[in-house]
Amino acid sequence: MDLYSILTAVLSATIIAGTPILYASLGELLTEKAGVLNLGVEGMMMIGAVAGFLVSFKTHDPWLGIIAAMLAGGCLSLVHALMSISLRVNQVVSGLALTILGTGLSAFMGKPMIGMQAPVTFNKISIPVLSKIPFIGSALFQNDILVYLSIILVLTFWFLIYKTKHGLRLRAVGENPAAADAVGVNVFAFRYLYVVIGGMLAGLGGAYLSLVYTSTWLENMTAGRGWIAVALVIFATWNPLRALLGAYIFGGVEASVFRLQALNIVRIPSFFLKMLPYILTVIVLYWATRETVRKRIGAPSALGLPYEREER
Amino acid sequence: MLSVFEKKNGILRFEKKLSISPLSYLIVLIISIILALAVGAIFIRINSFDPLEVYQFMFESSFGSAYGISETIVKSIPLMLSGLGVALAFRMLLWNIGAEGQIYMGACAATAIALYFPRLPSGIMIPAMLLAGFVGGAIWSLIPGIMRARAGVNEIITTLMLNYIAILWVNYLVFGPWSDPASFNQPITPKFPVSAMLPTLPGSRIHMGIFLGLVFAIVLYLVLTRTRWGYEIRVTGESESAAKYAGINIVRNIMLVMLVSGGLAGLAGMAEVAGVLGRLQQSISPGYGYTAILVAILGKLNPLAVVIVSFLFSSLLVGGYAAQTIGVPAAIVSMLQGAILFFVLAGEFIARFRLRYERRGN
Amino acid sequence: MKRWFRFKVILVPLLILCLGLLAAGCGSKQTNSGQGEKKEKLKVAFVYPGAKDDFGWATTQENARKQLMKEFPDVQFTAVENIPEGSDSARTFTQLCEQGYKLIIASSFGYQDAVHEVAKKYPDVKFIHCVGTKTAPNVSTYFGKMYQLRYLSGILAGKITKSNIIGYTAAYPVPACLSGINAFTLGVKSVNPKAVVKVVWTNTWYDPAVEKEAAKSLLDAGADIISMHQDTPQGLIAAAERGKYGIGYDNDMTSFAPKAAITSLYWDWTKIFAPEVQAVLDGTWKSQRIFKGLEVPGFLNLAPYGPMVPEDAKKLVEEKKALMESQKWDVFTGPIKDQNGQIRVKEGERLSDDDIWGMNWLVEGVEGKLPQ
Repeated sequence: MDLYSILTAVLSATIIAGTPILYASLGELLTEKAGVLNLGVEGMMMIGAVAGFLVSFKTHDPWLGIIAAMLAGGCLSLVHALMSISLRVNQVVSGLALTILGTGLSAFMGKPMIGMQAPVTFNKISIPVLSKIPFIGSALFQNDILVYLSIILVLTFWFLIYKTKHGLRLRAVGENPAAADAVGVNVFAFRYLYVVIGGMLAGLGGAYLSLVYTSTWLENMTAGRGWIAVALVIFATWNPLRALLGAYIFGGVEASVFRLQALNIVRIPSFFLKMLPYILTVIVLYWATRETVRKRIGAPSALGLPYEREER
Repeated sequence: MLSVFEKKNGILRFEKKLSISPLSYLIVLIISIILALAVGAIFIRINSFDPLEVYQFMFESSFGSAYGISETIVKSIPLMLSGLGVALAFRMLLWNIGAEGQIYMGACAATAIALYFPRLPSGIMIPAMLLAGFVGGAIWSLIPGIMRARAGVNEIITTLMLNYIAILWVNYLVFGPWSDPASFNQPITPKFPVSAMLPTLPGSRIHMGIFLGLVFAIVLYLVLTRTRWGYEIRVTGESESAAKYAGINIVRNIMLVMLVSGGLAGLAGMAEVAGVLGRLQQSISPGYGYTAILVAILGKLNPLAVVIVSFLFSSLLVGGYAAQTIGVPAAIVSMLQGAILFFVLAGEFIARFRLRYERRGN
Repeated sequence: MKRWFRFKVILVPLLILCLGLLAAGCGSKQTNSGQGEKKEKLKVAFVYPGAKDDFGWATTQENARKQLMKEFPDVQFTAVENIPEGSDSARTFTQLCEQGYKLIIASSFGYQDAVHEVAKKYPDVKFIHCVGTKTAPNVSTYFGKMYQLRYLSGILAGKITKSNIIGYTAAYPVPACLSGINAFTLGVKSVNPKAVVKVVWTNTWYDPAVEKEAAKSLLDAGADIISMHQDTPQGLIAAAERGKYGIGYDNDMTSFAPKAAITSLYWDWTKIFAPEVQAVLDGTWKSQRIFKGLEVPGFLNLAPYGPMVPEDAKKLVEEKKALMESQKWDVFTGPIKDQNGQIRVKEGERLSDDDIWGMNWLVEGVEGKLPQ
């Protein structure tokens, strides 16, 4: 096979592999914009993966599966919202607990689904004209609807955050909740809303994994993607457009792992190839952290701090 | 303070206490466990088992016989050691969630000693393996530690990513260079020489690791409460700016704490290969490093309490695996663990508040 | 959070311990009353490291277990799943022995140490351990000559391939996988000397996402047939999605991709386990290495062929199959060279069962290195 078609194949695989990470990462980004750190992404993805698979398996309707996954992710994130916003429990602790709970719950719920094949999936939609562009056309414009949706969501939320009054308020809630509160923004409502949205997107990312990427359910099938999504938020410097870039970089690495082996390009043991996404995460995180420090574009200032309304 | 009801001549308030007494925490813990079991019962019911019967069976398996209790102790050793490490790091708000990887690296380093110097007498072998286990785990936690201390890189993610890398590395070793020639490429290293095995209590699998755990728990407790360094860790954990103001060398302390934290997890790995398995193989830890996080949090980051909680959780795990022999999915255990944690977190919050009625004009 | 623990901390452990001991007291009474009655019925346990319904390796034995339940109505067959291969396995085996199980089938190599440790303590309990490297008076080992079917499916693949590249996803470089790859490659080469077999190691027995990616990468590299030594049908499904062909393994996977499935190679372990159960009942059970192949009727099976299989290939397969059934010929008959061109099996010689059970090299014509 020639290099050209191999590269198109890799590019196409990159988009597919990057999409679940993109959803989860966008969700976490929004949550963090509101000043809440939710480390339960991995757990919410898993619960989304199992809920999506279960419902679409029973109903034969992938859309119901997606909705169920979002609801499941949203419900789990609501627990985190309650813990971290209302009860002011340490957000790191609560997030870790969420991951552990999500892992256990999904394994338990998914038990009867192991080994099953999703009966339906999303068809690929070719965008006319664009999909005929050589090289990138088939990879970028010949995908399932959820890929397009993820890109639309990224653009929408970018616009929402940076170009609207609502976005200004959201950023204020994350940067300086007391000041936002003083001008009449309901900090608690904002935080609840965006934690839940974050959970729903993580659930959707998980469902993409189980319904589209593999069409099966497996315990721990997220394999650290939820954590990679959290790392990507830092890489993205809390900007949705950069999250898009980051997610596809990781998708690319994931897609390359076996292709390097199949093409006999590198002669290193497959175990090391499999380490690549994780090593890359560490390196990217190191680099991104240095950059954010240098450029002074850090995390939302109130990230991880519970807001307590002072009474006078 | 939070006001709930305002009435004409007074106000009903939630009053927040700074901390709760050990007794109230114990009550919270017990209630949480009961609530979690109740939630679990629903799921067991769904799977058409009798929850009471299942719980009773789980309980019998971990406490019902001398064998059960000894096995519960065996399983509590890695939880205890790595839980202590996690607790120490969390004390300083260093979120080391990489105990799993540190366990693997500790086991790997200890194995290297046993494989490359098989003729060492026991008196040198065991200490050397202990040291190697500690160093192996410590290096694995020091990498994120240095990145955090020098560049502010989020240690939560780096420690977690290193887990995956460590597990793949051990896989590579047991399939590749360390594979036992007598095992036809199966993923195990050769059996350790007898001199590399930790002494066990006769008639059981309880090994010397339990003493390591207990000794380290007491030492850590004393260090945290009685020494200057422990004081520094506690101050830094409460407020980094206060620590800076007090002239505490935070960069050095981050690295030191991470080092010890990972080292303890490394010892857990060493104890698992040298105390129980007798060789390095795939899946030496079925998630001890993650359970250790729960153990540390539920033990309120107190080394002595960690010992107790690790025993408790170990009994839960032993019971859970036993429940599999009658057909109940083991996932019930991880679900119970998560639920207990949430109930404790919420319960602690509730226990910290007291309802008080205040008259106006006070 | 800091102050309240200080000295009172001892209170917590003490209370919990008291509670535990109290409950232990109640619990132990229960155990005594529970025992005693169930002595007569033979109890057999199947122990799996993962889920029993994985549609892969575990399922092949689950099917056998269900069949055995019909054949031996007086014997209890229990499945125990999700038992990790570390320190938990020895305890589980001990508990099973204590519960009165007399035959335990340990379905993963990783249980080896635990099996032998527990078997020593319970000499009256029989163990059958998958691909073990050693036996004991009450420990047998088991596997099957699946490589014979691999060779036959290699013939089919060699006849069908157009690109002369055949993809093979394999889990780990263990003898079972290596003998499978080698036999398959020999089968391909016997009808199509120009074809190569490309191997991708997934380092997992069961991970749908990884298996599918691995298969896709082979297809990207030009393969038009995917064979696999994995536990899920993902490789076959990936091939179907591209309009290419695949060969299923473990169970009949045709239903997952009816148009793409050339055939599936599947086990029927009932044929192996039934005599073992009978032997335990009769008191004639003997420790041995169980390594049987096509000579046992119905043990190793080829699922019905897909429409793409040409007639001459079918005929050739039947010929070779008959030779192996009668044990007149076997796959690893010399001359066979390894990847380095070194002769491993001399002309006219046949590789012994020992050498196949412990195979650790790849034959000429395989693309892909052993992870060393």
